[in-house]
Amino acid sequence: MIRKKLKLKFDFVSSEILEKKSKKNRIKFILNKVKDGTILVTDGVMQPEEEMDLIKETMRRVDDGFPGIEVCSLKKELKGFRGFLNKLSDQALKIQSMLTGKPPEKTKLKEGITLIGPAKFIKKIKRNPDSFSVLAGL
Amino acid sequence: MENLLFKFNQKRLELLERELNSFNFENLKIIMKEMLGRFIDWLRGLLGLRRNIKLGIYGDVNVGKTTLANRISLDWTGEEVGKVSEIPHETRTVQKKEKVEIKLKNNRKILLNILDMPGLATKIDYRTFLKYGLSRREAKKRAREATEGVIEAIKWLKNVDAVLAVMDATKDPLTQVNITLLGNLEARKIPVIIVANKIDLKRAKPKRIKECFPQYPVVPVSALTGKNMDQLYEVIAKYARRAK
Repeated sequence: MIRKKLKLKFDFVSSEILEKKSKKNRIKFILNKVKDGTILVTDGVMQPEEEMDLIKETMRRVDDGFPGIEVCSLKKELKGFRGFLNKLSDQALKIQSMLTGKPPEKTKLKEGITLIGPAKFIKKIKRNPDSFSVLAGL
Repeated sequence: MENLLFKFNQKRLELLERELNSFNFENLKIIMKEMLGRFIDWLRGLLGLRRNIKLGIYGDVNVGKTTLANRISLDWTGEEVGKVSEIPHETRTVQKKEKVEIKLKNNRKILLNILDMPGLATKIDYRTFLKYGLSRREAKKRAREATEGVIEAIKWLKNVDAVLAVMDATKDPLTQVNITLLGNLEARKIPVIIVANKIDLKRAKPKRIKECFPQYPVVPVSALTGKNMDQLYEVIAKYARRAK
């Protein structure tokens, strides 16, 4: 009897790699990996609108073999001067999109951590306000 | 002649005095308030200031969104919005109930367009529906329609004025769907009220929802039994006014 080795693949991707991509390409990159069965971990958190776009795009790709994704993100709350700079950068982006009439092509990820994986492998995510644990299996 | 006129006027004054003594001024106050309320409503309508607030009912799958929409609609129009089922993704298209007038204390009124959204999800597996007795073909069809429903619900975020984010008080509220939904509403500056539903169940913990999302108004209700709905209507009126 041939026993097939069952493996789970994790990809740890730097936020810089994702930030270099346009929003559309970023979602495409993530979903291509996840649809291939990879669990992707990155040191950043997407903007809420982008997370919704990710869910929307996932729904377009759902089929018999790919039921969707599991996502979990933990955003780091920046305080003090860094928090102020962060808010300032958000406002600058809003002004830019108001002036140009369309949202910016590339956006920075927020500080934090995100895990995105195929729903068929990730059985459960247990979340706490400042941590999460993942139960995955084949 | 003068004497006769004097007597007549005196009689009229006496009658008037008697009428005034028997008149209930509390009733007059209520009537005046009602008339003033109606006049303001009419004036708002005339100036084009009164409009229907588009109230989106969002949340995870099977948290009781349609039960809540039905409860609101039944309370004020006597009609239901949609069908409720234990099978996930029963609502797969946006269901609307327009011009729902909610009457509040002090003769205040709000006019709502209720938008019952399909449940948001990051995964939809047709195999889940097989457990509820659906055939493979039916399950696949339902899954396909459900994915389209999620996309439609997300697109509608651009068009709602205020949102009721419904959460199941018997389950962990820290789901990615809830976090992403609230983050989006905050970014879009859409007023949001969290509805901690299913408090009629013993294992419900609405306090946990309040602890997880302290920055939002949380109203514990049972859409099924109607418990606490009056409080929800008052909170809707308060926050819906902030709608752009």
